[in-house]
Amino acid sequence: LVMKNLLKLFGALEIVDLFILFAVSPMAFKNQRSVPSALVIEDIKVDCVILLRMLQKLNCEATVARNGKEAVGLFLQGKTFDIVFSDKDMPVMTGPEAVAKIRAMGITDVKIVGISADFGGMEAFMQAGADVFVPKPMKLETLDSIVQEVIHKKNMSI
Amino acid sequence: LDEQFCQIEDLQDEASPNFAEEVVSLFFKDSARLMTNIEQAIEKNPRDFNRWDAHMQQLKGSCSSIGASRMKNECTSFRNSCGDENDEGCMRSLQKLKREHGVLRQKLGSYFQLLQQAGPAETATRPRGA
Repeated sequence: LVMKNLLKLFGALEIVDLFILFAVSPMAFKNQRSVPSALVIEDIKVDCVILLRMLQKLNCEATVARNGKEAVGLFLQGKTFDIVFSDKDMPVMTGPEAVAKIRAMGITDVKIVGISADFGGMEAFMQAGADVFVPKPMKLETLDSIVQEVIHKKNMSI
Repeated sequence: LDEQFCQIEDLQDEASPNFAEEVVSLFFKDSARLMTNIEQAIEKNPRDFNRWDAHMQQLKGSCSSIGASRMKNECTSFRNSCGDENDEGCMRSLQKLKREHGVLRQKLGSYFQLLQQAGPAETATRPRGA
């Protein structure tokens, strides 16, 4: 009965479009108010703790992967993130290697930020498909502008 | 210490009043381990400058993250010696690095002790960049 009334209301719209409209809208509304989710790929504890604290200050939810392989595993499990921060040199799988694999999985909408104390890391990250490179140590102001950009893009896409 | 240390302290708030001290404690644990890794690499892999450099790069990253500028400079010096394949230069830098590590640990230990004695008011009114 609901669908019949909806069809009357929306005319030629396919039922599947109606389903998407009403299924996604509440989710979209929820997402508009949800906090950005970040994946931090970092093996050095000090660096990880500092970045997590900064993300906490910016009201971001954060998940940690200790190396590139763990990070790729999370995506393979179907986990989604709004933004990824990746260190460059890590055991098992490096940051650029992980970024290349994530992009090869067709995950193009997540913003990937490469971070390294090695300025030579920029080329490796950008070639792998990262969106931006930030040298360590990252400042809170820099992180804030990146996160705000992600939030803005997320809100615009709803 | 450089301005980055102030950034670490600025991350403190009522919810995490001892964040800087916790990070510093973690840094000294991490850095001691990394320096041990470097020493083992030097012992087990003589003149393997790429390997030595890779280990030192990790330590340099940590040093820059907390603002340990003198240690970071010694890391850079070590890496330059790796680039020149100068193992004596590497040894000299490593020894200086260990000394700076000890000095920094001592000074930061005293600093946090003083802060605790002074109490929260002193921390709140600490001039920026001091």
